[in-house]
Amino acid sequence: MKRAIRIEKDDNVAVVAQNTAKGDRLDCSGLKVTAIADIPLGHKVALAPIGQGQMVVKFGVPIGRAQVSIPAGDHVHVHNLEDITEELSENYAKKIRGMGA
Amino acid sequence: MKEILAFRRPDGRIGIRNQVLVISMVSCSNTVVSRIAQATGAVPITHEFGCVEFQEDHRRTKLALVSAGTNPNVFGVLLVGLGCEQTSLADVKQAIASIGKPVEGILIQEEGGSPEAEARGVEIVRKLQEEAARQERIPCSAGGLVVGIQCGGSDWTTAVAGNTVIGAMADRVIENGGSVLMSEVMGFPGSEHIVAANAVNREVGLQVLDMVSDLRAEYVELYGQTIEEVNPTPGNRAGGITTLVEKSMGNVKKMGSSPVQGVLQLGDPIPHPGLWVVDNRAQGPDPFNVTGFAIQGANVTVFSSGRGSPVGCAVMPVIKITGNPATFRKLESITDFNAGVVVEGKPIPETGEALYGLLLEVAGGKPTKSELNGNFEYAIPREPARKKPRECCADGGV
Repeated sequence: MKRAIRIEKDDNVAVVAQNTAKGDRLDCSGLKVTAIADIPLGHKVALAPIGQGQMVVKFGVPIGRAQVSIPAGDHVHVHNLEDITEELSENYAKKIRGMGA
Repeated sequence: MKEILAFRRPDGRIGIRNQVLVISMVSCSNTVVSRIAQATGAVPITHEFGCVEFQEDHRRTKLALVSAGTNPNVFGVLLVGLGCEQTSLADVKQAIASIGKPVEGILIQEEGGSPEAEARGVEIVRKLQEEAARQERIPCSAGGLVVGIQCGGSDWTTAVAGNTVIGAMADRVIENGGSVLMSEVMGFPGSEHIVAANAVNREVGLQVLDMVSDLRAEYVELYGQTIEEVNPTPGNRAGGITTLVEKSMGNVKKMGSSPVQGVLQLGDPIPHPGLWVVDNRAQGPDPFNVTGFAIQGANVTVFSSGRGSPVGCAVMPVIKITGNPATFRKLESITDFNAGVVVEGKPIPETGEALYGLLLEVAGGKPTKSELNGNFEYAIPREPARKKPRECCADGGV
């Protein structure tokens, strides 16, 4: 069985530890999924279905928003994951700065 | 509380090495310093600065030279100058002596030339080494340890295996009462909201956000583009990184999950144990950042590299780890710890615990590969041209 690394237990993606082909079984730090797309070494695999608009979570934190519904086992990258870094950091900054001294 | 055998310094800090250093005041005295070090086995610090420097650059040079001498891993120091340089040997000597450390100084022009200075220097160093050899390690709390964390020469394993394992280790250092220093602040933009949310209070959270706002503005001023415009790079994307927060998290994950106590400028004393950010913006090779930790008085740096690195430091052991098992096999002569077991299925927390175990062994005297290989770099960090100093211009008391 091939391998992927799930960094934190709440992550909904893992990082594949070898080039992975569609149909390969993956052991993702205990969770088992079947790849439904080719996934290159170091890229992300979805561990569970991620609905459109839901957060993709890696390192225990949201790293972006699903642009479409992503099925378990799919490759997660620029084609289905939106970079919302500025939104995340600006929202936080607004919140903390607005809290008053 | 865990205990280690270490050297207690007159100022109360602990040292995990008992180095005798030979420090050059100016590039003109580098050769004499190197020759004294070769003859005695002492660790040399040479550099290309020390004269005809603008004020801010010179403050940095003095801070770095004084801080090398005052680092708690150092027993004693010989300073070697030419005699007419900008760096005042008397000032540097006084600053190092002020914390009760043995320090001597010689000037080539006063000793009668280079061979004469070398002979005198060898004599002084041998005497310091004899005194150092008489000092014994005593039981000290591991809570006195100050640990720098860094990565460089990254590959796909660095974020997921190397840095996550350092993060788990950092949590253990803090739980045991120690201090962890994180720098590489140019890698913060994108995850500043995560780091700030981990701050001990709102004021520190704002310090983190303000530092990153300032960094973003500085980046635009220097390069004419925003950090977001150039990141993640095409190479990052090809390697599987999709978003900036994802790239940035790969860096700050080294900090673990402890509360951030504050942002320090280079040269600021560490107010109390815990996790600290050191705002060292020097852009250059890895030793710039390692040396920043040495300046802050770190005892040791833990450095992760997917591709492998020989980096060391004149005043600290540098523990090299790799998240890539193939790199560990290929570069075991420069690598101390294989975090690549995570890629092969081992859990991150227990690998971090094992790394903490190695850290304690190194603190107790086990030599690192950097020391065995004689990697004693000390690269004074230089920042891109800064028009005005930041509010703090700590200079180590010089």
